[in-house]
Amino acid sequence: MSKDVFMFKKGDIILFGIILAIIVTSSIGVYYYRFDKGNFQKVAIIKQGDVVIEKIFIDDLNELTEIKLFENNDVIIHAENGRIRFYKSNCPDQVCVDSGWISKKGEMAVCLPYKVIIKIEGVDNEVDIITH
Amino acid sequence: MNKTKKLVLISLFISQALVLSIIESWVSIPIPVPGVKLGLANIITIIVIIFFSFKEALIVVIIRTMLASIFGGGGLIVFLFSCAGGVLSTIVMAGLYKVKYNIFSIVGISVAGAAAHNLGQILVAAFLMKDVTVITLLPLILTFGSLMGILVGIVSTFLEDKLKKARIFDV
Repeated sequence: MSKDVFMFKKGDIILFGIILAIIVTSSIGVYYYRFDKGNFQKVAIIKQGDVVIEKIFIDDLNELTEIKLFENNDVIIHAENGRIRFYKSNCPDQVCVDSGWISKKGEMAVCLPYKVIIKIEGVDNEVDIITH
Repeated sequence: MNKTKKLVLISLFISQALVLSIIESWVSIPIPVPGVKLGLANIITIIVIIFFSFKEALIVVIIRTMLASIFGGGGLIVFLFSCAGGVLSTIVMAGLYKVKYNIFSIVGISVAGAAAHNLGQILVAAFLMKDVTVITLLPLILTFGSLMGILVGIVSTFLEDKLKKARIFDV
């Protein structure tokens, strides 16, 4: 093997720089989106495509709640106090079930074959009072 | 290289890429992002770009993702998802490989390909799920993807050297 096999070349520095810049800027953006420690309540949103199927205030749950989707119950979602997950899915890849419980604002679990997404968002408490 | 030999070699590469993508589907990665894979099949894409060309690499990627979604499960949507990422990264890697004066190393090309793959998949996922917030997964996916891109690049560099010495592409 020639000596300079792992020598980085001029262009690499530019490539790494661009990628690092994307990582850093997007991290800052996501950080502000997720860790905005305002006075909010966590709401889990279950969507299929752009249709919102259900919104659950997961912090208000006292017992396990089961949500069955589609006619054959192809996808079953479990929610309990403060967290939510894909419990069962008939999809072939099981990526959604493997994602496990999600509980923090900004987290999401996705079932690509059924186009179902669960995401947790923060809702201002003022808005919450009105909806209650 | 005659047609038959090329056909055999391309078929071998497709089967190797397929085996790698099946093996990596068994490995679940402990980061809180759904569906992240190691990207080992990219080794084969890079090798095909080096020893053949963009066209052959594209064929390998498309057939591999097609077969992987048949064997590994996932159906049409998962196929479209991984195919979009694969095609985009192949375009980027083949493009950078062709750049004159040899200014990119294989590791650099591999990292760029991984990043293109991740960006493409996030965009396709956001489009399929009709949900823009999917983009917030980008930093984690891109960080992990770039690290794997470095590893894949190193492996490809070794493999290129071995294959050159094996002289299987000579005649």
